[in-house]
Amino acid sequence: MFKLIKIAFLGAIGMVFAATAYADFTFVSWGGAYTMSQQKGYIDTWGPVKDGSTKVSVENYNGGLGEVKAQVESGNVTWDVVDILPVDAINGCDEGLLEELDFSSWEKAPNGDSFLDSIPENGTGVSGTISPCAAPQIWWTYVVIFDPKAFPGKKPKRMKDFFDVEKFPGKRGVHTWPQAILEMALVADGVKPNKVNKILQSTGGTDRAFAKLEELKGHVVHWSAGAQPLELVSSGEVVMSIVYNGRAGAAILSEGASFDYIWEGQVLDGDWVAIPKGSKNKAEAIEFLKHATTCASQAEQAKYITYGPMRSCGNDIIKKNEPWFHNGIAVLPHMPTTKKRMKKSVVTDPVWWADHNAELKEQWAAWMAGNK
Amino acid sequence: MNQAAKAEILTTDGIPLKVSLRRAERINKFRAFALVLPLTLFIIITFVIPIIAMLTRSVDDKQINTVFPKTFELYKQWDRKELPTEEMYATMFGEIVNADKRAIGKASTRMNYSKSGWKSLIKKSKRKFKKIKEGPYKEQMIAVDKRWGEIGFWKALGEMADPITFGYFLNAVDLKYDSNKEIIRQPENRRIYNYTWYKTVKISVLVTLFCLILGYPIAYLLATLPLKYSNLLMIFVLLPFWTSLLVRTVSWIIILMKKGVFNSILVWAGIIADENRMQLIYNETGTLIAMTQILLPFMVLPLYAVMKTISPTYMRAALNLGAHPMHAFYRIYMPQTVPGISAGGLLVFVLAIGYFITPELVGGADGQLIGHWIAYHLKSTLNWGLCAALGTILLVVMLALYWVYNKVVGIENIKLG
Amino acid sequence: MSKTDSFVKFEKVDKSYDGEVLVVKDLNLDVAQGEFLTLLGPSGSGKTTTLMMLAGFEAPTNGEIYLDGDPISSIPPYKRGIGMVFQNYALFPHMTVNENLSFPLEVRKLNKSDIKDKIEKALSMVELEEFGNRMPLQLSGGQQQRVALARALVFEPRLILMDEPLGALDKKLREQMQYEIKHIHERIGITVVYVTHDQSEALTMSNRIAVFDDGVIQQISTPDILYEKPENAFVAQFIGENNQIKGKVQSINGNNCVVKTEAGEEIKALKVNINSVGDKTIISLRPERVEINPTNSNFENIFQAKIKELIYLGDHIRTRVEVCGDDQFVVKVPNTYKGAEFKEGVTVKLAWKATDSRALNSR
Repeated sequence: MFKLIKIAFLGAIGMVFAATAYADFTFVSWGGAYTMSQQKGYIDTWGPVKDGSTKVSVENYNGGLGEVKAQVESGNVTWDVVDILPVDAINGCDEGLLEELDFSSWEKAPNGDSFLDSIPENGTGVSGTISPCAAPQIWWTYVVIFDPKAFPGKKPKRMKDFFDVEKFPGKRGVHTWPQAILEMALVADGVKPNKVNKILQSTGGTDRAFAKLEELKGHVVHWSAGAQPLELVSSGEVVMSIVYNGRAGAAILSEGASFDYIWEGQVLDGDWVAIPKGSKNKAEAIEFLKHATTCASQAEQAKYITYGPMRSCGNDIIKKNEPWFHNGIAVLPHMPTTKKRMKKSVVTDPVWWADHNAELKEQWAAWMAGNK
Repeated sequence: MNQAAKAEILTTDGIPLKVSLRRAERINKFRAFALVLPLTLFIIITFVIPIIAMLTRSVDDKQINTVFPKTFELYKQWDRKELPTEEMYATMFGEIVNADKRAIGKASTRMNYSKSGWKSLIKKSKRKFKKIKEGPYKEQMIAVDKRWGEIGFWKALGEMADPITFGYFLNAVDLKYDSNKEIIRQPENRRIYNYTWYKTVKISVLVTLFCLILGYPIAYLLATLPLKYSNLLMIFVLLPFWTSLLVRTVSWIIILMKKGVFNSILVWAGIIADENRMQLIYNETGTLIAMTQILLPFMVLPLYAVMKTISPTYMRAALNLGAHPMHAFYRIYMPQTVPGISAGGLLVFVLAIGYFITPELVGGADGQLIGHWIAYHLKSTLNWGLCAALGTILLVVMLALYWVYNKVVGIENIKLG
Repeated sequence: MSKTDSFVKFEKVDKSYDGEVLVVKDLNLDVAQGEFLTLLGPSGSGKTTTLMMLAGFEAPTNGEIYLDGDPISSIPPYKRGIGMVFQNYALFPHMTVNENLSFPLEVRKLNKSDIKDKIEKALSMVELEEFGNRMPLQLSGGQQQRVALARALVFEPRLILMDEPLGALDKKLREQMQYEIKHIHERIGITVVYVTHDQSEALTMSNRIAVFDDGVIQQISTPDILYEKPENAFVAQFIGENNQIKGKVQSINGNNCVVKTEAGEEIKALKVNINSVGDKTIISLRPERVEINPTNSNFENIFQAKIKELIYLGDHIRTRVEVCGDDQFVVKVPNTYKGAEFKEGVTVKLAWKATDSRALNSR
């Protein structure tokens, strides 16, 4: 009996070692449907994964640079690729927490554009990459959705309707951090989407946004996790809510939920992929990122989630092959990056937000404390 | 032979008794030390060192001083009324151009805490200053970015002049240094920490209180019921431990939301009208309800452990001596449960004060307790100095609580069973 | 029965916890004012349950208990005014000795100076005047015991109950406390109902002893009568050491009888509670009433016995012999005995009087 336990024990230890030796490549992302789209879109299709020479172990995290900083500072870097927000890509690169990338040999677009040129500027002055450490992933947006049943008469169409609690009474779902809501407030206040960043960053810009937000005071339910706003809207707790568009797309396309979007004033934000400084598999990680950012991989990922490919060649593949979603439904109606929608969108300025994140977060918290 | 030698007692072998005893004890001490050594090392590595590192970080302000040493020398002579001299501009210029990229990145992050904008200003300057070949620098720098011409940015450097700073602690209580290192209040629209401290302590105290009120009778039942019932009840008490935190939290959302189970039952029973459904979640009420439920076992278990050891004879003796059952409970039973009350109370309070996931999910606008801000600065702004200051204050609050507790109740009265 | 005769009275009391087993059956018991009555019996015999019913912690399933002539079944324990000393003293661990003693006085709303006087008096009675400010856990077992006694007495109850109060003390201290309690009882003349399973304790202290077994009082009497004249085999065996020889009644002659053992010997015995010839019986005989190799002929019963085992116990030698077919028969031989050869394997003569061998019912 004891012998059996001993053998089992040694076996278990052996397997742990074997597993650690085998899982030699770590990809870190946000989890849920998004990670699944990355898994199917480009992890499973990567050569070394297909031929079994590399096993990619996928880990989840909650964003931020905390873990990366701790790993780099302690000299024990266990992550090879991490999916991060623009702010963190910029900060991380500045602080030397991420590896810089040389994009010159990366895949060109079919029309001959270089890799960086194939990331369009989206009408905001931000083109190419935002940071020499970040490879492009997807555009996702903060968009307003509502349940059409909540408004039997006139339906909200524009961002100013989200802020108009007289015309469209009922509570609004808003996240607990300041990003996007300030931009939305300016759109609702009459600023043209392509002028929002300029106004916001000028003297008095944030004050103007906060002044507009006063109109929402007392009508807001705050959420902090991505699944919450959908639940808030479908349960009737709120009549409209800001959501991550991918969550709404999944609910509509896969679960048959009946939400409508207000695309005007949606706030685009990117997700980027980067390599922590000192990754033990740096060369391999670069090869992986090259594969992950091909036009085909970018398009393939959109079969599983309604986030927009950053490279326009990815969008072109989708447009030609609709219905593109994996269950045979057209995906473009739910994509934030169509030309028409891009015109009405704000793209967040990660550089400015990196400067003002802490200050505005504190102001926003003070605003929330007064929102009773 | 002198007096002292006479008094000395020898062992059978002729060695002085004290020497022999010391030798025997040394072996025992060494053995005891060897036994606790692994744990001691573990605690030092995983607990003592991080805490010291945290305390250090909360006052450490070297990261900028090492990048701009000469600029700060000149800064001390500057009158802070008009824009700095060309000399200071030139020094700053040189230090930006020559700085190590990573070090200046860190420095700019630090500078950004004192005034938003430094981060991008330094980054942009580092990139564009390469084109400037010779002085005078002042005009050319302002031409690169007009923020170089704003006195506010220069003034903001003042609070970083010393390698040791209490600025992070000031920030943690809505204060800050001005350019002359005088302590002033934060602008009103940024004052959030004092309110958060107040809210965190208030919620922790209330949750502890509710846990006590709800947990005391349960623990009493557990300790006095026959085994077959108490086992079943114990399973109910422990059930929350076996469910994931998120599942429990989401369950509360489903129960407490406006069209949720609880409100619907009240409407169905005619207690409240359909349009008067109560807001029980996404506010402080929701935080209190969910946290109380989640932390309840931490109150019940120590209480139960202590109550289990209190013989029922004490209550009988009190009754026999003529005390009414209520009086006997109050004078005889309750005082004997004080160790359990304190253990459970401290445990729940300590856990509650650092809680942030649940309050964030169910607390709505009220859900951001101090733990949220620590996590936020840890991950998003990388302002680990402020994190450390917040954490240190939290630690000091705990120690103060412990000290008060020791004075009032006595630490030997804490008992987990 | 008038009030003075019966201070405490149990009348046809039954008690069952589960509705299936009676732990106390048809209990009728009278305790006189000022009496020291001990309830003695093995564990599970119902003696503690009886005490708890008197204290009010258990309610009788049937019957009534009277205190000073009044029925008390419906009176809660805290209104009965009965003092009690518990098995493990139940001194309140968070209160000093003084606070423990003042507790019953405070709930009775006595004024402070009265409380102080009474505490002083009670502590001096148990000779612990200096210990008022100590915590119970700072006292020795014997001191705690005395505080418990003082606390039970301090509010001058009508009746004191003691539930194996000396069980946790070592032998020497226990004996000392037995005398102390006995003397306090004699001094203040309070009625005491005392529960123990230690027969020597019961014999030392009591005016009367009620021997419990199986929920029934087997015999209630003064210590000497219980020892000398047990009425049944259980009492005879439970109190003191006792040889028991099984047999059948062969003849009855007035108060005497003849019993034939299984081995065939005929023993002359006193008829106690046997009814007719042919009944099974047990002869009970105290070891110290047996003589070895008698020098005179005052004994009705003389038998040959073989010495099996000798155990030296200081003042006497405990001698196990085989006689009348019983090899567990014990004789206590004084160590002054200087008779013929006396060692294992030797055959000796044993003799005892017919009045010392009591023919009891056999169960």
